Amino acid sequence: MKKRFQRRKMSNDVDVDITSLLDILTILLVFLLQSYNSSDLRLDLVKNIDLADSKVREITKFAPVLQVTKESEVFLNNKSIGRLPASGSMDELTVALKNQRDLTAKDNATKTAKQKHNEELINLVFDKDMDYEVVQRVMNDSAHAGYSQFKFIVKGNY
Amino acid sequence: MRTTHKMKKPEKINLVPILDAVFIFIFFLLMSAQFVDVYEIGSKLPMTKEADRDENKEPLNLTVEVKKDEIIIKTGLRTVKTKKFSWEDEALINSYLVDLKNKHQDENTVIVRADKKVSFQDLVKAIDLTQSENEKLFEQIVFDNQGAK
Repeated sequence: MKKRFQRRKMSNDVDVDITSLLDILTILLVFLLQSYNSSDLRLDLVKNIDLADSKVREITKFAPVLQVTKESEVFLNNKSIGRLPASGSMDELTVALKNQRDLTAKDNATKTAKQKHNEELINLVFDKDMDYEVVQRVMNDSAHAGYSQFKFIVKGNY
Repeated sequence: MRTTHKMKKPEKINLVPILDAVFIFIFFLLMSAQFVDVYEIGSKLPMTKEADRDENKEPLNLTVEVKKDEIIIKTGLRTVKTKKFSWEDEALINSYLVDLKNKHQDENTVIVRADKKVSFQDLVKAIDLTQSENEKLFEQIVFDNQGAK
């Protein structure tokens, strides 16, 4: 009877089994390491853009991002510029691109040679169903604003 | 005298600092993670420069014409050689371009001329064909906007 009500000795340190937690962490770490991209470009896609698939594996570089949606709406660094006209060039786009180029030049003036961004480089994001005619017009407007190097952003397919 | 040897408990490894580091690492990776793998295809505006080449050697002048139902590959400047392929002939196009590259090792420019109604996906597919995965084919892409119909 006495034995029944005897208090158990409390052990000082409580052991928590963290094996399962470690398993999860390892899996998460492997998954994140696999999907890690060393590019310095942060790309926030606007709505209604389905990227074209490609085999190329060239990593993206930092530059202004110009996106054109399925409905021909134009975004420069995620700010809406307007809708592309049915034909001809888009003056608002050329002006916005020129301003962006001036901004990059101003920003570069305070940076060391190594930190400077390429002022002539622009990242172009198009929907995969977009006609080449639109791509051509956007390239022309970008060239008029002083951009001579175009990078088409594509999705890696496997 | 009877002596009793108490068995020493095995020492536990202190995992706390490792776990701290792993948590910070995971947080950093989560913040910088991009769940869509994006890459780039580069193109420069065409520029003119003094040709520094053998006058007797015909330049390759590789032109890829992208149409809705076919791809036309043209080579040569004075005498133009034209070869037509359908979109399904990917392997044929690739071997033809590899052959051209082997014959013209110093050439790395391809002129892309596309129809206005060709989709961006088809354009990218055509460019992909000129950029082999294993070996470097024609890296310099120039768009011929004058010739587009």
